Amino acid sequence: MGLLALGTALEWPEAKKKAGQVRQWGIEQLLANWRRARGKERDALLWGDEVEYLVVALDDAAKKSRLSLAQAEILKSLARDEALWKSGSGKDSATGDHAGEEPPHFHPEFGRFMLEATPGQPWGIGFKDLLKVESNMKWRREVAKAHMAPNEVPITLTTFPRLGTKDDYIQPYYPPSGPALRSQFVPDEIANPHIRFPTLAANIRSRRGRKVELNVPVFHDANTPRPFKDPTVNYDLHNWPEDDDVRNGAAKDDHVYMDAMAFGMGSCCLQITFQAKNMTEGRRLYDQLSPLGPILLALTAATPIYKGFLVDTDVRWNQIGNAVDDRTPEELGEAPLKNDRWRIPKSRYASNSTYISQDPRLRKEYFDPDLVVDEDIKKRLMDGGMDDLLATHFAHLFIRDPLVIFSEDLEELDLNKSDHFENLQSTNWQHMRFKPPPPDSDIGWRVEFRSMEIQITDFENAAFSIFIVLITRAILSFDLNFYIPIQRTTENMETAHARNAVLDRKFWFRKDPFPRRVPRSAQQSTNGSTFSSTTSSAVNTPPPSPPLGPVETEFDLMTIDDIVNGCADGSFPGLIPLVESYLNSVNVDVETRCFLASYLDLIRKRADGTLWTGARWIREFVAKHPDYKQDSVVSEEITYDLVKAVEEMTIKEGKKGSVGWELLRGKV
Amino acid sequence: MKLILSSSNIMQAGRQSVIRQPLTQKSNVELINSLRSNFLASQQIETSTNGTTKGQDVSHPPSWTLQAEDALYIPAIDFSQPGLSEERDQYDITVKLFYLPGIPVSRRRAHTREAIDLVLKELHVKSIDLLIVSFPGIRFDADDDSEEEDNEMSNGEPDDFDSLVQTWQVLESLHEQGVIAQLGVAEFGSERLARFLPHTKVKPSVDQINLKDCCVVPKHLILYAKQEQIQLLTHNDCHGILPVGTTRELLGPAEKSGAGILASSPEANDGIQGDIEPQWVVKYTAVVKDRGVVENKGYFASADVGSCLKNRS
Repeated sequence: MGLLALGTALEWPEAKKKAGQVRQWGIEQLLANWRRARGKERDALLWGDEVEYLVVALDDAAKKSRLSLAQAEILKSLARDEALWKSGSGKDSATGDHAGEEPPHFHPEFGRFMLEATPGQPWGIGFKDLLKVESNMKWRREVAKAHMAPNEVPITLTTFPRLGTKDDYIQPYYPPSGPALRSQFVPDEIANPHIRFPTLAANIRSRRGRKVELNVPVFHDANTPRPFKDPTVNYDLHNWPEDDDVRNGAAKDDHVYMDAMAFGMGSCCLQITFQAKNMTEGRRLYDQLSPLGPILLALTAATPIYKGFLVDTDVRWNQIGNAVDDRTPEELGEAPLKNDRWRIPKSRYASNSTYISQDPRLRKEYFDPDLVVDEDIKKRLMDGGMDDLLATHFAHLFIRDPLVIFSEDLEELDLNKSDHFENLQSTNWQHMRFKPPPPDSDIGWRVEFRSMEIQITDFENAAFSIFIVLITRAILSFDLNFYIPIQRTTENMETAHARNAVLDRKFWFRKDPFPRRVPRSAQQSTNGSTFSSTTSSAVNTPPPSPPLGPVETEFDLMTIDDIVNGCADGSFPGLIPLVESYLNSVNVDVETRCFLASYLDLIRKRADGTLWTGARWIREFVAKHPDYKQDSVVSEEITYDLVKAVEEMTIKEGKKGSVGWELLRGKV
Repeated sequence: MKLILSSSNIMQAGRQSVIRQPLTQKSNVELINSLRSNFLASQQIETSTNGTTKGQDVSHPPSWTLQAEDALYIPAIDFSQPGLSEERDQYDITVKLFYLPGIPVSRRRAHTREAIDLVLKELHVKSIDLLIVSFPGIRFDADDDSEEEDNEMSNGEPDDFDSLVQTWQVLESLHEQGVIAQLGVAEFGSERLARFLPHTKVKPSVDQINLKDCCVVPKHLILYAKQEQIQLLTHNDCHGILPVGTTRELLGPAEKSGAGILASSPEANDGIQGDIEPQWVVKYTAVVKDRGVVENKGYFASADVGSCLKNRS
């Protein structure tokens, strides 16, 4: 979650006064950095994955599972060992399977029950590196577990099924309703105590003028009451002014109601970051991966339970969006604009809203005509030399206010730093992120793919990580074009939420991803040709432009199976066949290719329904549990057994018919 | 008369180069489709430039081809076009040369040189990193780790052991000249490798196994390869990559969706008369090393055509 600098964090009324200054300084830092780094060239492909864990404490005697708030102790213990590793005397230093691999890095996350782990060093494209990803993920899990109490385990469920219920779902226990979150379901102690996190939560709430509001439609089972009125909501609390929210209708019928940032930012994701060759390639990958965001969200769906109830959605995304939505009633369009500058259609955490690549295939029809940008900031960036597309992107991100401001940082503007820029950049949680090189470092331009849900096993997490890496290579090698109007991607993101969207819903996708063929003779003919090619380089020659058809003819509604495995009518070739074509064009050794085949097979079968998503498996697990009463309630006992099953699955991975075979291997 | 067919860079060529069901379709689809689409594209350019339509084009050979020295280039190639966009050392260049069934081993020296030269000219490089050769009729079978001598498909004699050794010496000399850094074979089982290695000065550093077998490679081949420091790589190429019939169809009359190079009948004067005999096929791939991007991939194929083809002896 970015750098954890220390200092005096401003409360919202003070922070609000400084917002303009932070934005202005952030833009100056961005410009300075962009000028320094825009010519950076020929960086290798390096990439990294981020895996996030819930730390769960098991009480086998009472058959209870609780979230453990031991993050700080675990990280401290891990840091001690990392220091030992570096000095070469650590007890679990990298030997055997992990000889030559740097020990993994662990990071704090928003939830005090969460951990994030990244590989000790970034991966390359060497195919041997791809083989190490899964074993490295498993190693991370082992290392993390070794630093926990004997009854604690790191699990990779996106959310804890009973977070926010009335029982003691955390350990140690704290009662809800603290000054920062003011939640009636979770205590302030649920969040990482570092000043950044409570401030972030408190300032989102203050700016918004009420608590955040998450209403997730409940899954109506045979015995679920109609209408369903969330029985955990307390209408008689009077600790904070925000306790009025529920009396003012914040909790909707037929929905599970939640009221704190922890319900969203306490979710675990699988995020992949790539280093591009240069800024141009980074911008291209940002655009081309964007339409894939919702598709991979639906494919990785793993979030069917909130606050002890089965819900009617399969993914976490919108819950996070709502959990950090700092928009005021005016910005939301609920009140006429008086004090605020504009209406804003999306939360800070949402699908991305504009394209940035200087690509001749990027048609103006693909843009959102109603994109909100700060015109003054855009002008400043363009006066500073930045092109229109990129200036628009950043001027769009900078419509937001900085949420956490440390007064110490406002004394002097340092153009060799990026703290003010990052303040805005890192609190724009869009499904793609375009990352300029940090100042004073060798790192190049990077793109982050952020929509995927964490998967229960490392086999799945490795499969999806590697799949995305291979897709980027196919995009660059085949010069693929996945552009669709960006509003269709926003729509797809909503579609991906539906229960079983992976099989039941259709998504907008481009029909023909291939470049138009430019024959040599067209590339070279500069006179007498119908194509007025003006450049001499074959590689950079833009495609000839016979008139393009209407944009609407370029894309269509497709199933995830069509998109991943190809359309039966041969129109869209399919992401997996594209990746396989790529692999057939490079030298891959037999062992690696066999591994890759098992990963691609998982994704192929998730898409065609042979294998289940995590969401479907969890639903079936609950439905079949003897303690389940067809009333949507996921009890403590079911949750305990679910956690145990998940723990077993991370080890046995559904092999030989063991638990979870339905989502991992199928019947073999 | 010698014909040189080329696909140009198929990575940028669109869907023809992406095969939807790689395991069920014959994998020479990539070669055939990419040649066909390159021919078509060149014809269209010609048509749109000269304002003639395909039917009116009566010149033979057609103007989108190029008659040079002793070969007809289909389509015409302009080797002055730039090859790769970055410095040579950024790339791994792999070339796979398919010797075709029924073509005398005695021609392989010339064919090898010819094929490699075309690739070097196309990519504007002086050397390649890896040359893999595919011998007709040698096919690895994972089940019993022995190669089938596939007489059925090769309508000729499978390569005998001596001819493998002879051919290898040709490759070794190219290695000596610095044109090829590493050599490789395809579809060799451990027995054949063990028999073959003592006859080589430059050992193969790669043995390519068909993709469908990549998860069932026999243990003794894995161990043997490791011991001899031979990398086992995967490929997705089929046998009989360019059969006579397919070639005739590809180059035949336009009415039958061919390229209009060959005469439509023995009496017609609308194209070249005579039998056609494919000689070799070469595939080249240039991959940007530390980014894994395939920048250039393509094929050349050579065929002889005429009523008095070279004596086979």
